[in-house]
Amino acid sequence: MMLWIVPLLPVLMAPLIYLSGRREGCTGVTLLALSALIAVIGALALAMANDWQGSYALNAALVLQVGLVPSSQFVALAIPIMALPVLLFAGVHEQAPLGRLLAIMVAFVGAMELLVLAQDMVTLLVAWELIGACSWALVSHYWRDRDTVKNAVQVFLVTRFGDLGLYIAAAAVFAGSGGFGYSQLAGLDGSLMQVAAAGILLAAMAKSAQVPFSVWLFAAMSGPVSVSALLHAATLVAAGMYVLARLQPLLADVAWLMPAIMLIGLTTALLGGVVSLVQGHAKKLLAASTSAQYGLMWVAIGAGFPGVALLHFLSHGFFKAGLFLTAGVAERQAESYQLEDMRLGGRLPGSALLGGIFALALAGMVPLGAAWTKEQIISVAYAASPWLTAGVALAGGLSAVYATRFQLAMFGPVRFGRTQQRRPPLSGACRLELLALSGLAALTLGLSLFWWPGVQRWLQQQPGWELADVHLWLLAASLVLVVLGMALGAVLVQRGQLDGHQGWRRSAFCWWGLEPLTLGVGATLVKLSARLARFDRDVLERATLLLSRQASQTASALARRDADGVDASLYGSASAVTRIADFGATAGEALSERLPGSLSGLVNRGGGRARQAQSGQTHHYYAGMAIGFAVLLTLLLLGDAL
Amino acid sequence: MLTLAWCLPLLGALLLAFVPRWTERNARAFATLIAVISLLILIGAWFGFDPDGPLFQHVWEVPWVPSIGVAYRVGVDGIALAVVTMSALIFVAAIAYPLDTREDSQRSQAHQYYGWMLFLMATSLAVFVVLDLLLFYVFFDLSLVGMYFLIGRWGHGRPQLSALTFFLFTFAGSLALLLAIIGLYLSLDSPSFDIRLLIEQQPLAGGGLYAGLVFFGLMLGLAIKTPLVPLHTWLPQAHVDAPGPASAILAGVLLKMGTYGMIRLPLAMLPATFERYALLVGLLALVAILYGALVALGQRNLKRRIAYTSINHMGYTVLGIAIAASFSDNLMAKQLALTGATVEMVAHGLITGGLFLICGSFWYRTGTYDLDGYGGLAHRAPRLAGLTILLAFASLGMPGLAGFVAEFQIFAGTFAVYPWLAVPAVVGILVTAALFLDILRRLFFGKLPASLDQFKELDRIEFTVLSVLGLGVVAIGVYPGFLLEVIDSASVLLTGGR
Repeated sequence: MMLWIVPLLPVLMAPLIYLSGRREGCTGVTLLALSALIAVIGALALAMANDWQGSYALNAALVLQVGLVPSSQFVALAIPIMALPVLLFAGVHEQAPLGRLLAIMVAFVGAMELLVLAQDMVTLLVAWELIGACSWALVSHYWRDRDTVKNAVQVFLVTRFGDLGLYIAAAAVFAGSGGFGYSQLAGLDGSLMQVAAAGILLAAMAKSAQVPFSVWLFAAMSGPVSVSALLHAATLVAAGMYVLARLQPLLADVAWLMPAIMLIGLTTALLGGVVSLVQGHAKKLLAASTSAQYGLMWVAIGAGFPGVALLHFLSHGFFKAGLFLTAGVAERQAESYQLEDMRLGGRLPGSALLGGIFALALAGMVPLGAAWTKEQIISVAYAASPWLTAGVALAGGLSAVYATRFQLAMFGPVRFGRTQQRRPPLSGACRLELLALSGLAALTLGLSLFWWPGVQRWLQQQPGWELADVHLWLLAASLVLVVLGMALGAVLVQRGQLDGHQGWRRSAFCWWGLEPLTLGVGATLVKLSARLARFDRDVLERATLLLSRQASQTASALARRDADGVDASLYGSASAVTRIADFGATAGEALSERLPGSLSGLVNRGGGRARQAQSGQTHHYYAGMAIGFAVLLTLLLLGDAL
Repeated sequence: MLTLAWCLPLLGALLLAFVPRWTERNARAFATLIAVISLLILIGAWFGFDPDGPLFQHVWEVPWVPSIGVAYRVGVDGIALAVVTMSALIFVAAIAYPLDTREDSQRSQAHQYYGWMLFLMATSLAVFVVLDLLLFYVFFDLSLVGMYFLIGRWGHGRPQLSALTFFLFTFAGSLALLLAIIGLYLSLDSPSFDIRLLIEQQPLAGGGLYAGLVFFGLMLGLAIKTPLVPLHTWLPQAHVDAPGPASAILAGVLLKMGTYGMIRLPLAMLPATFERYALLVGLLALVAILYGALVALGQRNLKRRIAYTSINHMGYTVLGIAIAASFSDNLMAKQLALTGATVEMVAHGLITGGLFLICGSFWYRTGTYDLDGYGGLAHRAPRLAGLTILLAFASLGMPGLAGFVAEFQIFAGTFAVYPWLAVPAVVGILVTAALFLDILRRLFFGKLPASLDQFKELDRIEFTVLSVLGLGVVAIGVYPGFLLEVIDSASVLLTGGR
C-alpha cells in the first residue's frame, strides 16, 4: 500500500500550497512547492529500495494497482527532477496568484506519477484524465483573457478526444478478461486485442501531439511559460509516449501497430520540423519542435526499442524545459514572443549562454547527451529500414536548423537598421531564474556521460534497457547533417528569410490546414448542436406546450359552461384529461375488466369507497376513473387559483 | 424505521399547513430539521444493512386490504437504499437552500412552500421504500402533485403552463404504468401487489403478447418520467420555470423514480421480456445520450443547458439497466453495468442537484439565465466558481469524482455486451466536456461585465449546502467502496450472479 504515497503526497500537498499562497509572499509558497517535489523524490527512493507495491479495490471488478517496473522507476524519478527547476522558475517569474499555479503544478506532477506507476487500465485512465484537467486549469491561469480560456478548452477537448480511445481500450480488456490489469491486456486475443491497441494508439497520439492532433500544443501556448515547460518536458505530452513505451512489449504482437507508430512518429517529426522552421512565435516554434522530438521517440518505440525512447525523453525534457524558460526570460525583455522583436544581443548574456547550451542539445550536437540519444534513434531506425533512417536523420537536420534559428533570432546581434528602445533589465528575480536555468543546463551537460562507454555498458546491463549498435558511418553522416543544418540556420537568420508570411510558409505556419481543420470540427459540432437545439425547441417542445395549453383551455371552458353544478364541471374537466390520456385508456380496455374502479379510487385516496365500486358493470369503472381524474384536476385548478 | 423516515416529513408538512403564523425563518428551520432527522434515520438504516444478507431488508408488513392483496409493505435492497438516502440528502439541501423571496406576496406563503417541500419529500421517499406495487403507484403519482404546486406557485416565467405540461405528461405516463401494473397484478395466480412476490414468482416469464404489453406499459410510463428522448419535452421548460431548489429535486429525485422503477419493475419482474427488448432500450438510451448532450451544447440558457445534461446522464443510467437486462452470459459485465447505473443515479442526483441549486443562486442575484450576460465572476465570487467547477467536472466524468465511477462501469459493462453501442456512447462524454467547459468559460472567465459589479458571493448557508453536496461527490469519487458494497449486494442478485 505504501506506494500510493508517491502520487498522493503531491495531490494532498496541493491544497496546502494553495492556502499558503494566499497568505504569504512568493518565497514561502515556492519553497513549499519545491519541498513537495523533493518529498516525492524521497518517497520514490524509499519505494525502490523496498520494492513497494499498492492496490486499492473499489469492488470485485475495479481494482486499482500501482507498481514499479524498470521503465516506470526511471520516468517516475525523471518527472520531479525536471519539475524542480521549472517550479522554481515559476515561483519567481509568474504573476500572482502563485498559490493556485504552483498547487496545480504540484498536483499535476502527482497525477503524472500515478500514470507512470499504473499497473492497470483503470488507474491509467484515472491519471490520464486528471492530467488533462490539470492542463486545462494551468493553461487558463490568466483567465481574464478570453482567448486564453478558449484555448484551454481546446487543449482539454482535443486531448479528451484521445482519452475516449483509452476508455474503449479499458473496456475491451474487461470484455476479454473480466479484469483491467496490464497482464490481462497481454492475454487478450483476436479482435479485442486489435481494439485495445487502436484505442491506446489514439489516446497516445492525442496526448503526445502527433499528427493529426499536433495543433492543440499551439493552443496550449497561451498558458504561462513555466506551464508550457512542464507540459512539454515532463507531463502531458510525455504521457502519450510513456504509455506506448510501457505497453510496447505487451502490444508487440499486433501486426499493424508498430509500423503505424513508426509512420506516425516519422511524419510528425518531419512536418513538425518544417513548422518550427517557419514559425515566428518563439513558444510555438518550440511547441512544433516538441511534436517533432516526440515523433522521434515514437519511431524508436515502433522499432522495438522503448528504452531508447525513454532516454531521449530524459535528454529532451531537460533541454526543452530550459528552452521554454529561456524564452520566458527573453519575453520579459522584449515584451513579445515574436522572434522578430527579439534580437536581444548582449543584453542577457547569462541567459544567452545557457540558451545556447539548450539549443545545441536540441540541434543534436556532440558531445551533449541529447545528441547520443538521437543517434541511438537513428541506429534503431536503421535496424528497421534504411528509408526510416534517412527520414530520421533528415528530421535531425531540421532540428539543427530551427534550433540555430531560435537561438540566433533570440539572442543574436541586432540587425542593421532595426534598433529598438528597450527597458533596462529587471533585477532581483533574475538571479533565481538563472539558477533554475543553470540547473537544467547542468543536467543537460551532465547527460554527456551517455557518450562514455562505461555508462553505456551499465545501461545495457539494466533489465529492460535494450540499446542499438552504433554504426560509425551513420553517426558521421548524421553529424554532417547537423552541422549543415546549423550553418543553414545561421545563414537564414542572417538574411531574415524565414520570418516571412507568404506562400508555403504561411500554410506551414499552422500545420498545413490542421489548425483550421481542428477548429472546424469543433465549429461544426457547435453548429450541429445549435440546429438540434432549435429543432428540439421549435418542433418537439412547442407541440408539447400547445397540447397542454389546449387541454387547460378546454378544461376551463367546460368548467365555466357548467358553472351551475359541481358534478358537471367535474365530468367536463375529466373528459379533457381523459382525452390527453386516451391512448392509455383505449389500450387498457381489455385489461380493465375487473378492478380499475377500485384502483383509481385508491389512487385518489378514496380507498373507503373501493368496495362499493366493485359492482361488475363497466360503466361504473369508467365513472370511477373519471371521478378520480376529476378530483386531481380540481386540485390542479384550485392550485392555479391560489 | 423506514416508515418513520417518510412519515415524519408528512407530519411536518401537516404541521406547516395547519398551524398558523409561521415566519419564513421558522418554517425553513423547522422543515430543515425534519428533513435532517429523516436523513439520519436513513443513514441509520444504512448501518443496519447487511450486504451479504437477503435482497430486501428492514422489511415491515401490515395487512391492509387482504381481499385484493394490498398491504402496507416497506423494505429496501441495496439499490433502493442508495437512491433513497441520496434523495433525502437532496431534500435536506433543497429545503435548507434559500429561495428567491423577493416578492412580498410570496414571503407570506413561505410556510406553504416548506409544507409542500416536506409533502414532496414524504411521497418521494415512500416511492423508494414501499414494497407494495399499488402504494408505489400512489406515491409515484402523489409526488407529481407536490411538484406541480412547487413549480406553479413559486416558479418564474410561465410557471402555470410549465407545471401543467409537466403534470399532464407525466400523468399520462402514470396511466400507462397503472394499466401495466394491473396487468402484472392479474397475472398472478392469487393476485397480490407484493413486489417481493412478483419478483419471486416471475408470473410472466413465458413471454407472449400479454407480457409484451405489460412491459411496454411499464416502460412507457417510466420512460416519460426518466425521461428518454423523444418523451423528454416536458422537462426543459419545467426546469427553467421552477425555483432552483424545486429543480434540484425534480432532477435529483423525481427523474430517479423512472429509472428506479425500471430496475424494480421490468428488470426484476419481467427479465425474460426485458431481455428481448434490451437492445431496443439500449438504442433509445444511446439516442438520449447523444441527443441530450448535443442539444445541451446548443443552449444559450444556463438552466436549460443543465436540464438537457440530465437527459444525457439519465440515458447512461438506462443504458446500464438495458445491459443488465440483456441476453448475455457475461454476468460480471451485467452486474458492472447495473451497479454503474445505480451509481449514476446517486451521482447525478448530487451533481445536478447541486448545479440546479447554483442556477437558483444565479437567478436570485441577477434574474437571468442567459449565459451571454455573464463573465469574469471567478474573482468576484471565488467560492461559487470553485464549487461550480467541482460539480461541472464531476458531471463531465472526471476521475476522482462521482460521475466517473458511474460512467466508467456503464461503459465497460456495455462494451462487453454490445461493443458497437459503447463506442458512440463514449462520445457523449466528449460533448458534455465541451458544454461544461463552455459554461465555466462564459460564467467565470473573461472580463467582468459592468452589470455584475455588485454580484454577491455565496452566503454562508448556500456555501455550506453546496459544500456538503460537493463533499459527497468527492467521497463517492475517491472512496466509492462504501456505496458499491451496498449496491453490488443487490445488483449481483438481480443479474443472477449469486
